[in-house]
Amino acid sequence: MGIFRYTKLAYREPDEMLFGHAKFPVSAHWGLQFGAGYVVPEVKVAPEAGSERSKEVMVKECESIAEQAAGRAVDIGLPAFLLEQEHVYQQTHFPDWGGACTRAQADVLERFHNEYGIKCGLRQTVGDTRLEERGGLRGTDYDNEIAESIEQCAKNGASDIAAETMGGKSVLDYGSMRGDIRAILFGIGVLGSIDMEYFWKRAVRICSHYNCNPAGDTNCSGANSVMYIAGGLLGKDFSHTGAALARAISAARSLVAVECGATGPLKDCGYENTIVKAICGVPIAQEGKNAVCAHADVMGNLTCQVADVWSNESVFHREEMGGPTPGVWLQATGYEAALMNTAIQTGNAKILRDLYTLTDKYRDPQGTLLAYDNAFRVAGAIVEYGKDPYLRARAAALECSKVITEAYDAKKLMLTRFELDSLNKYTSVLEGLPMESERFIDECMKEYPKRIPTFDPKSYGL
Amino acid sequence: MTLDWESRENTDFVYRRYNVIVEGPAIKPEDDKDVKKNMPPKEPFRELALAVIHGDSDRAREATKTALASTPPLDVIEKGLSKGMDAVSALYAKGAYFLPDVMLSADAMMVGMNMADAKLGKAREKKGTVVSFVAEGDPHDIGKNLVVMFLRSNGYEVVDLGRDVPNADVVSAVKKAKPVMLTGTALMTTTMTNFHHVSDMLKKEGISLPIFGCGGGAVKRDFVESYDMGVYGVKAFHATKLADAAVAGKTWKDMRKEYPKIVGEFVGEYADRL
Repeated sequence: MGIFRYTKLAYREPDEMLFGHAKFPVSAHWGLQFGAGYVVPEVKVAPEAGSERSKEVMVKECESIAEQAAGRAVDIGLPAFLLEQEHVYQQTHFPDWGGACTRAQADVLERFHNEYGIKCGLRQTVGDTRLEERGGLRGTDYDNEIAESIEQCAKNGASDIAAETMGGKSVLDYGSMRGDIRAILFGIGVLGSIDMEYFWKRAVRICSHYNCNPAGDTNCSGANSVMYIAGGLLGKDFSHTGAALARAISAARSLVAVECGATGPLKDCGYENTIVKAICGVPIAQEGKNAVCAHADVMGNLTCQVADVWSNESVFHREEMGGPTPGVWLQATGYEAALMNTAIQTGNAKILRDLYTLTDKYRDPQGTLLAYDNAFRVAGAIVEYGKDPYLRARAAALECSKVITEAYDAKKLMLTRFELDSLNKYTSVLEGLPMESERFIDECMKEYPKRIPTFDPKSYGL
Repeated sequence: MTLDWESRENTDFVYRRYNVIVEGPAIKPEDDKDVKKNMPPKEPFRELALAVIHGDSDRAREATKTALASTPPLDVIEKGLSKGMDAVSALYAKGAYFLPDVMLSADAMMVGMNMADAKLGKAREKKGTVVSFVAEGDPHDIGKNLVVMFLRSNGYEVVDLGRDVPNADVVSAVKKAKPVMLTGTALMTTTMTNFHHVSDMLKKEGISLPIFGCGGGAVKRDFVESYDMGVYGVKAFHATKLADAAVAGKTWKDMRKEYPKIVGEFVGEYADRL
């Protein structure tokens, strides 16, 4: 059966979008709400290397992360926080590990909530252990263990379930390494969207049996990989204009989780979330300047602009001079959230939002795209073709190109020759693509299966 | 407030786009002075090299077809295609070429090389064999694919084991292929520890060879040097220099000591070894 598709925006104008406010707030365990008028700080800590040697060690490790985060939250007077555990391979591959780790962390959070009244949430992000070249993405043991892991986490106290699925990655990787925008569009916009529908229909169904939000899915393996490869201003592995196009395309893909019933808060590393929020009004997590432990992005302030949850992305579990990392990085996100919440309470939120945005709007074309006024335009292009995953992804990329070109022509955004040339080249390819999904898919299927050995069309019903 | 600066001068204390500020004039790649120095002056080699430099697979196919009509296949590869790839490496190292340029050039080179190999009719002698894998439990393989591409286009036979490879399979492949070097990549903290296990398992088998370990985020020099045989790879394209050093008889201990010298450039991560 088909899924609901967005053909309208959730907001009438970009100015309605604001941090801490979502059109459709979400409630979670232990008194926490997302998008309900305040920003929630989030902390995420990767288990120490070696802790995967046994289930017992991993459970203790996760419990300790929760204890250290909650302890610091109370120590510095945070009213609320979200703890996220992104699964390492073993936590999803052995679903009982994921369940036991969730239970240990939920018990810690519940204890702090009961004792101090602090509002807490627990997000568990399952790993995508499927590989196209290992029997495909559907119906394998790896696929089934993900479903089981989601269930174990939901059953054992997770307030939110998220994922970073890898559908379309083989084609996207091929495209990003060769500057092939058609492959990027096919990988993220078509294949990614198909796999998201398969994955999230099931995830939503599982979560509905428990008191657990199906939160959503970011294009970490796609648009973030491209952003990572593009690197800083002096990076020479991928153009930043190309990274912006991939990001716009990813919004059309990440929207699919919500269309399947995901409620948010969408995951932090989805820089495309501003666009998705404009379409469906769900709360979003974001990361930026307090995620320097994980990413060197070029829009550290801008991403605060409409965030409902503010995250550190990820950090190793270790000791810093200021204490163990769960506490240190929650402190960093906690103080930033406190600034945003102060702005909300004093009526200055829109001023602060615009300061965040303007800081990075022209630092890089990726910031130009994601500035909330421009993101709103791209969202509009997506819903115009909302019923067709391919056409809306293509429309997103073309609108992104327009936004960047206009900023460049108006001499607001400076571009290198390489950035400008690649933008023009990609735009010309996008403009020349067919206006019928079937034709586009047929053309791609004639080319990419033979070029990319790991691409498994059957995984997408093709 | 508005969402725009009144003038770009207002932004000078907020950000600077250094990539735009330092960008040099546009030149054709073949006009770069380092490329010019090493370009084959005569045809058909010059056209073969140019096809690779421009990352044009169709042009490489045509140029190779033409060249093979009058030139021995080995010369087509070594005096033409490989010279083009050397130029591409130089352009990439100095920042004039970007990764997609390199990949397209490598694709063009492989088109020509496969045609020359077919004409040769027998297995061409390779510089050596390298085994490449992504750590068990890790699906991120862009790094590994880059390493494989650089090694293959520089004349190495690569046994590509893929991603999420069980440690035992890595050891079996090493025993079977007897490589000059093993490369492992990982993105995640909890998968990179497999490098350690692979090292221990190889030691038990009495095998010693450099394990070029690299990856995102977590994989750093201190970690890679915490197990025997580990050599921290800073850039994917350094794999070819390390493999050349292995062929020349350098051990993993030599590589740790001489890394900047072997790769021929300043490497911040090995600043204490300059």
